[in-house]
Amino acid sequence: MNVTAKTYQKGEIPGVIAINATVCKGCDACKRHCPTGAITGMFGTTHRIDVDLCLSCGQCLINCPFGAPYETSDTVDEVIAKLKDRNNTVVGIIAPAVRVAIGEDFGLPAGSLVTGKLYGSMKKAGFEILDNNFTADLTIMEEGTEFITRARHALFGEKSEHGGEIGPLPQFTSCCPAWVRFVETRYPTLIPHLSSAKSPQQMAGTVAKTYGTNVWKKSPESIYTVGIMPCTAKKLEASRPEFNAAYKYNKKNGRGLTNKPYPDVDTVLTTRDLSRLFKKLKIDLAQEEEVAGGSLLADYTGAGTIFGNTGGVMEAALRTAYAVLTGSELKPLEFKPVRGLQGMKSASVTLKDAKYNKEVTVKVAVVHNMAENIQPVVNEVLAGRSPYHFIEVMNCPGGCINGGGQPVCSSGSSWISAIRPWFAWK
Amino acid sequence: MYSEKTILKHPWSVRIFHYLLILSFLPLAMTGIILYFKPLSESAVNLAMQVHVVCGVILTIDAIAYLLIGFNRVILFIKRIFTMSVTDVKWFMILGGYPQKLLLRKKVTVPPMGKYNSGQKLFGICVFTGGSVLIFTGWILWAFPHLVPGETVYLLGLLHTISAWILTLFLPVHLFLGIYMFDDFKAMILHGKIPYEEAKETAPLWVEKEIIPISRNQC
Repeated sequence: MNVTAKTYQKGEIPGVIAINATVCKGCDACKRHCPTGAITGMFGTTHRIDVDLCLSCGQCLINCPFGAPYETSDTVDEVIAKLKDRNNTVVGIIAPAVRVAIGEDFGLPAGSLVTGKLYGSMKKAGFEILDNNFTADLTIMEEGTEFITRARHALFGEKSEHGGEIGPLPQFTSCCPAWVRFVETRYPTLIPHLSSAKSPQQMAGTVAKTYGTNVWKKSPESIYTVGIMPCTAKKLEASRPEFNAAYKYNKKNGRGLTNKPYPDVDTVLTTRDLSRLFKKLKIDLAQEEEVAGGSLLADYTGAGTIFGNTGGVMEAALRTAYAVLTGSELKPLEFKPVRGLQGMKSASVTLKDAKYNKEVTVKVAVVHNMAENIQPVVNEVLAGRSPYHFIEVMNCPGGCINGGGQPVCSSGSSWISAIRPWFAWK
Repeated sequence: MYSEKTILKHPWSVRIFHYLLILSFLPLAMTGIILYFKPLSESAVNLAMQVHVVCGVILTIDAIAYLLIGFNRVILFIKRIFTMSVTDVKWFMILGGYPQKLLLRKKVTVPPMGKYNSGQKLFGICVFTGGSVLIFTGWILWAFPHLVPGETVYLLGLLHTISAWILTLFLPVHLFLGIYMFDDFKAMILHGKIPYEEAKETAPLWVEKEIIPISRNQC
């Protein structure tokens, strides 16, 4: 552990990304992608990462032309050992963006949707499936409902059902761990603006070790949860000490066998890590049969599916908010103004709050690629001038789909990829 | 009998190209070594990188300008260095007689050479191909690494390093032999001309086949 790290709680991984000094050319490419200026070192010299500023987003890792940044946390072998131990039930929590990226590592065309093959490969490896899309649906129910509560409080003075404090508007999404860490370390006064909902990964961990004990007929202590994420920052998120809600719940309800707290999510593998795990176990995802998830925990809606894209959380939240406020489904179900790759998108939607019989215009914004787009949004909120009520923020350009844990295609998607097959070698 | 006739071997365009080459390549080699081993402080290595970039730009401009101004000479140079024959093999077998001359003080018969001897041709090939590679890869690595696939950038970086080491290691040999052939050294650095007798001895085929008198007093 880096003893100088000051912005981490005890137990957290202090900096998931480091730079290999022997590989770094000091070209400065990584600095352009770092949202916090955490990368130091003058042009031409070996660069370093200031772990206190680092969000662990991994954008430097996937964008370094020389492959110098690497992950400090690698638990592939640990997960394989757990899979081989018959006393454990290893639950794989598969994020939405993993299924459209992992195929690349097995020779399938970029963007191939391989949900069935991924389930098949994971089951062959010994995993039980908890599709993170399922908990993305839970997240959006929480986040959407919380937004309605905040909006009704701001507009109509409605009090909390449970008597608790209601957060201010605009409400920020909270499922991107890099964004949450950005707020916590740089703009702590904005913390009340963050949704209090946990991320889908963390909800999944809790569900697996509570409700999941009935599904798999196992004790919570023998369930080992593995987040399979497109994101390196999720490794940091899972290591946060406060994320042991399942342990607390089980203990409170007399379901615990141990007094030793266990995390909701035991470890996190990135998409790249999972590819390595499959390859170590000689599983060729491309050749696997398509199978079903096998339980309710692998069922999900389209709202959960679009979480991995910029605008996806907002679109899903608006669908929920619309349904809750108006009492009817949004038709058509798509909310296209928040789609696309523009750095910052905004939209407004007018809907009738059935409870108060009043029309409400909700102004929303969607921000991704924090390195380039977040500062004006934050400044507006800090100055109390933000016109928005709900703001989705994802650190990575394009959203989780382009996360720091996704496969790095070393031959790129340029003309070189196209001519490579002509020069087959082995 | 010694003649005072001279031959213009390096016209002004070649000399200016070579001056700029010295001015840019020597610092490039030195800063390249610093960047490779990084033995200095961060700010010193950063300065080395900045000097490396500036000199790289000067080298590029020098090469492009010479290509445009002396296009025919470039083509002729390429033709000369890439034209090899059995004579070159024979030259390499005795290394141009230099080891015998330098180490044993013994003069051996050297196969007749053209404007460039076989060693100079080999060096010319290295300078021409290595220099082109260094300029091309250097620009990609400095300005456009993010536009090129990672695997390619890695290979270009490797190519840059290998080419740079080859040329850098050639440099002391070139400097030594360049100064050792003092008339040629003066021609390249000062006036461009070498004594006729010298040329006739070191490059007889060139003198015989290509040199024509341009005036009674001046060649």
